[in-house]
Amino acid sequence: MSKHEIAIIGIGEVPTRNMPERTQWDIIYDTCMEAVRDSGLHKNDIEGVISVTPQAQPTIAAELSFGKLPEELGLKGCKDAVSVNAGGASTSNAIRLAEEWITTGVAKAVIVQHVTLHSTIPLIDQINFFAKAGIDLQWEYPFGTTYNIIMGLMANRWMHDSGWTEKQMASVVTALRSWASRDPNSIFYQKDVPSVEKVMASDLLNTPLRKRQSNILGDGGCAMVIVSAKDAKKMKRPAAYKLGDSARYFSGTCVLRDFKKVAEGFRVTAKEAMAQAGITKKDVSLWNCYVAYPMAHPFIAECLEVAPPGQGGQYFLDGRMSFGGDIPWSTIGDAPGRGHTGSGVSAATYVETARQLMGKAGERQVKNCKYVYQNAAGGSGFNQISTIWGKEIK
Amino acid sequence: MEFDMTKPIPETQPWSEKFWEGTKQGKLFIQVCKDCESKIFYPRKFCPECWSGNLDWIEASGKAKIFTFSTAYSMVEPKFMDELPYTIAYVDLDEGIRMMTRIVDCKPEDISFDMKVEAVFHERNGYFLPYFRPVVKK
Repeated sequence: MSKHEIAIIGIGEVPTRNMPERTQWDIIYDTCMEAVRDSGLHKNDIEGVISVTPQAQPTIAAELSFGKLPEELGLKGCKDAVSVNAGGASTSNAIRLAEEWITTGVAKAVIVQHVTLHSTIPLIDQINFFAKAGIDLQWEYPFGTTYNIIMGLMANRWMHDSGWTEKQMASVVTALRSWASRDPNSIFYQKDVPSVEKVMASDLLNTPLRKRQSNILGDGGCAMVIVSAKDAKKMKRPAAYKLGDSARYFSGTCVLRDFKKVAEGFRVTAKEAMAQAGITKKDVSLWNCYVAYPMAHPFIAECLEVAPPGQGGQYFLDGRMSFGGDIPWSTIGDAPGRGHTGSGVSAATYVETARQLMGKAGERQVKNCKYVYQNAAGGSGFNQISTIWGKEIK
Repeated sequence: MEFDMTKPIPETQPWSEKFWEGTKQGKLFIQVCKDCESKIFYPRKFCPECWSGNLDWIEASGKAKIFTFSTAYSMVEPKFMDELPYTIAYVDLDEGIRMMTRIVDCKPEDISFDMKVEAVFHERNGYFLPYFRPVVKK
């Protein structure tokens, strides 16, 4: 039996778009109210509020950290509020904190929420933030590196070692966008899915990364209501039960990140999380992977042993991870498909995990979705968190 | 809209000053722990292996091999645009440590994995950044 004792019983989300007229508080109202209504609870049943810290948005980050949300939304039963920041791993930690609050009696029902409004951040501030966050200011930044270049360094070596081709790497974008085009919350909803040739014809940013293999920033937000597994079961509503959680730390500085240790961390955390859940990889209905860049997907597919060594790229090129393929994979299309909302892509991925297990994913619904593997990582990849979620508690 | 076009210099710590003093003299220093004999990069206040404060420096050969690289053609910070294209690499020093650097003095298309390179020092506002160039066969 899993040692985890929580479940997501309500979700709310707004479409990822660039809409500066939609304020951060607009999004917070909409997502939190939708999540509470979806849970079947009353607003005053919410006893804890945990915010994923918005990146590069100091005003809203301070407002959320200093407790404005319960007051703004009139959550009269709220006992405590806090913000959590571990970059893209923030939501994983917010959920862990919710679990601690719930199991120790601090709160019976907790909202975990995220909001990001990139479109109102001045371009200069965006550049200043993303040029330096997660990049060492003494040993990396002065050489002129960027997040795209960090990805290029990894992808070039992976391609060298594994034999993945440019065509295979380009096909990941096609696969992710095939899901995104069917996701009403994606910035690419109902947009044409770019062909492999189109991806390969886009401008080279830095080897081997092309323009269509990088991310578009967007505004977005989502929220989840979390209660104890026991309460979720009593409520007899669709829920996503947490069954497994395992993590490894690699390094804060990109250049110190041992490539073999990272691969091992991806592999081991998945196995440990599955062992906690009492399942094997054959039981997983959906691999809901969040690795931000498409070029990292063949790598994680091989680490998770979904694809054999050296075959990760070919699996994508064969369309096996695309909508309609035989391996349901990143059904919001990860950041390249959803639009990059800073620390919010992993939050959106958790909401999608819950949505799939609740049977609410519409056209993207994975048939008989019973167990979901979901990972998250923070910064430029300082860690790896693997989790398993189930339709029912084991 | 005006961007800050000042090229960044390393944001140093007191315990890394010796490294940057070395590069001014054309030397690549590596921090070592005198107690557990670890070679330490980047330099720390205490040894990250054994927490000893008994630290010293050795001069590295400046020879390395390219572990991986990526050549930038666009989408870098405005302050680096005038240097495009440029190649960022991770290089493995003969002494067993890995650094981020720039590969210079060759065409991007001539750069390859495991290529042997050597340190050269590039001045920026009083700091000398360790770049690497292909080893010239004599």
